[in-house]
Amino acid sequence: MTPTRSMTMVTLGCLVTGALLLAQEQRSLTLPPGQNPHLGNPESIRSGMALYRFRCADCHGLDASGYRGPDLVAAVAGGATDERLFQTIRKGVPGTEMPPTEAPDNDLLLIIAYLHSVGTVTATERPTGNVENGAKLFSSQCASCHRVAGRGGRIGPDLTRVGIARSRTALVREIRTPSEFVAPNYETVTLVTKDGQRIRGAKKNEDVFSIQVMDTRERIQGFLKSSLQDVVYEKVSLMPEYGPGRLNDNDLNDLVGYLSTLRGADMAVR
Amino acid sequence: MPMRALLIVIVCSVALAAQQTASPQVTSQDLLDGQKDPSRWLTYSGDYSGHRHSPLTQITPENVHQLSAQWTFQTGTLGSFQTTPLVLDGVLYVTGYNNNAWAIDARSGRTIWRYRRQLPEDLRNCCGPVNRGFAMVGDRLFMATIDAHLIALDIKTGGLLWDAELADYKVGYSATVAPLVVKDKVIVGIAGAEFGTRGFIDAYDTQTGKRAWRFYTVAGPDDAGGKTWPTGDSYLRGGGSIWVTGTYDPQQNLIFFGTGNPGPDYYSQAREGDNLYTASLVAIDADTGQRRWHYQFTPHDVHDWDSTQVPVLGDLTINGQPRKVVMFANRNGFFYTIDRVTGKVIVAKPFVETTWAKEIGTDGRPVLLPGNLPDEDGSRTCPDLGGGTNFMSPSYDPTTRLFFVTARETCAVYYSWDQKFKPGEQYESGGTIRPRDQKNFGALRAIDPTTGRLKWEFRYTSVSSSGVLTTASGLVFAGDGDGNIMAFDSRIGKNLWHYQLGFPMRSTAGTTYMLDGRQYLLVPSGSMLTAFALPQRP
Repeated sequence: MTPTRSMTMVTLGCLVTGALLLAQEQRSLTLPPGQNPHLGNPESIRSGMALYRFRCADCHGLDASGYRGPDLVAAVAGGATDERLFQTIRKGVPGTEMPPTEAPDNDLLLIIAYLHSVGTVTATERPTGNVENGAKLFSSQCASCHRVAGRGGRIGPDLTRVGIARSRTALVREIRTPSEFVAPNYETVTLVTKDGQRIRGAKKNEDVFSIQVMDTRERIQGFLKSSLQDVVYEKVSLMPEYGPGRLNDNDLNDLVGYLSTLRGADMAVR
Repeated sequence: MPMRALLIVIVCSVALAAQQTASPQVTSQDLLDGQKDPSRWLTYSGDYSGHRHSPLTQITPENVHQLSAQWTFQTGTLGSFQTTPLVLDGVLYVTGYNNNAWAIDARSGRTIWRYRRQLPEDLRNCCGPVNRGFAMVGDRLFMATIDAHLIALDIKTGGLLWDAELADYKVGYSATVAPLVVKDKVIVGIAGAEFGTRGFIDAYDTQTGKRAWRFYTVAGPDDAGGKTWPTGDSYLRGGGSIWVTGTYDPQQNLIFFGTGNPGPDYYSQAREGDNLYTASLVAIDADTGQRRWHYQFTPHDVHDWDSTQVPVLGDLTINGQPRKVVMFANRNGFFYTIDRVTGKVIVAKPFVETTWAKEIGTDGRPVLLPGNLPDEDGSRTCPDLGGGTNFMSPSYDPTTRLFFVTARETCAVYYSWDQKFKPGEQYESGGTIRPRDQKNFGALRAIDPTTGRLKWEFRYTSVSSSGVLTTASGLVFAGDGDGNIMAFDSRIGKNLWHYQLGFPMRSTAGTTYMLDGRQYLLVPSGSMLTAFALPQRP
């Protein structure tokens, strides 16, 4: 090796090491400059997998193919840039369950390296079906309980950004079998008052002594358990099952197509 | 003597006398006396036995429902309390997040002095820059720091008296434990097992800050337990953190500490063997740091089940025989009563659902159940990594002879894989996720330590990390995971009072003390202290 090349290699090595050390401590809002030093490094990928399983797998699935959260294998294969991945992990996704993180940059880079290593290339999710018909179906079947861009019901989750918060598979599952997983804050309870009145709704919070609900008329209210005769915890979602008899496969495809287009709304007053 | 000179002498004498009487002085005898003077709370658990039990009886099961907040103190900083405040002569000594600390007027909640530690930017620790409290003796306070130092502060000003480095924080060492003062030594343990460090317990001279002895919680090749580690240097990354304060038996001059999990946390093949003295109870000579005996709760732990819980000392009659025991509700889900002279197990029974061991055998070793070794495919085990209980303090009421503990009913899928060690980086070789159908609740449980049987329980809606406090009037104070501080009848577990604090208590259940004829209950939660008392009589 020539001295010049050697010097260059040493300088490069120092730069990479320096950047890595910096990344270990920093908490940047955007992707740190330079190449991710963990890409393709088997040890880093293992560390990234550990971090992923600890921090991400509950929502995005153990194999990153999506559960409640989007399919990250598809997202990466579909061209999501490292910058976008980094910023999404760092800042979270407002209006969804995806929280921001204070983890060091290095942890984020390890997770990104792991995501690049999982699965083979899959097709990008593109809107399918008749979106216009999907919007009509949403309006007639869903909007009394779900809100989009400030319009619609509130007993179910706000779907303004559901297109970036849920994979297509997750949307299909949650429409067909909504009771399979009921998100916190939407679990069904029926409160029985001392005079026998029954109040059904979504549980918003609870401790040993009190419970807070939104009832099916969207009234939010807290109750002391000592003032109640009973609290019935229901296993089923407030949302009815939309099986093929209620929503055929074509309509389902249209509805999911429409939901996939919901990627946030500008609510600023101008 | 001229009148003016006489006046000066008198004034000086009065000033000196006032200085002497006003200067708080805590002696070794005061620490041995524990709760004899109930206006004081001088050490983490209230006394050396770890009972966290007060002799106070002003607040009773009959009047506890009248408790009301007298004042609150806000730290004005980020982060939550895990501290047990100390109390001396009407002043509270309190440590907080990032090694902030305060002296606070116990009557009004107003700050007297504040200490701020300048911490380095590049700290590494697994679980937040929390702190569990001061130790005190003489006119000084001792605090372990998140950058792995032990410091002594002037009790009157909060000024720094000495600063001793325990270990290098840059490779992952940290310290959160409330130290324990025994005679002229302050005893402290180190944390950092998640970074592949080797744990220890140290003793330092209270006056000079010079180290008197060190006991490694991970046996080296020349130690008696050294053969329980593979040949090579894996013991140097063997974990064994200490982050909960131990107890002291003056008759035997022994200190007792529970030790943390072995490192790396989950990957069995990295450290074949029992991995002594991790996940153990160690009995150490207070003067020399020499191990007298040990008992390992979880040989070769692979579930991150630190045994860093408070070892509670008591005198019990078991099968008609008087026994000197140490009681221990372990993160692995079993409750143990152990002879504290010999280290032999007398009672061992699960106090939560445990799927990893059928029972504790007559030889003291757990009888393992198959299918609980973490691997790349995952294995489901109860309890989860948070354990049957954890760093939260239990309490023992010597009058009812009941042991009270915050229990957790949870399970997890544990994964493990090989991971290359790099100094300063997390080294756990695995992780866990929660099964979707898992149960997940907490409970206050009362256990008969002579049998290990459950006497009563009060269930919470979620898991809790609150400690427990008992009083001689027959009360148990504890917190749930939803921000309630509650009082219970210690005999039957009936809930008698609750107050929503806005944030759950962690680690501690607070302290109780007498001041101006009133019994106070002092509760840290979130970044707030709340002092409760009964209404003042006119």
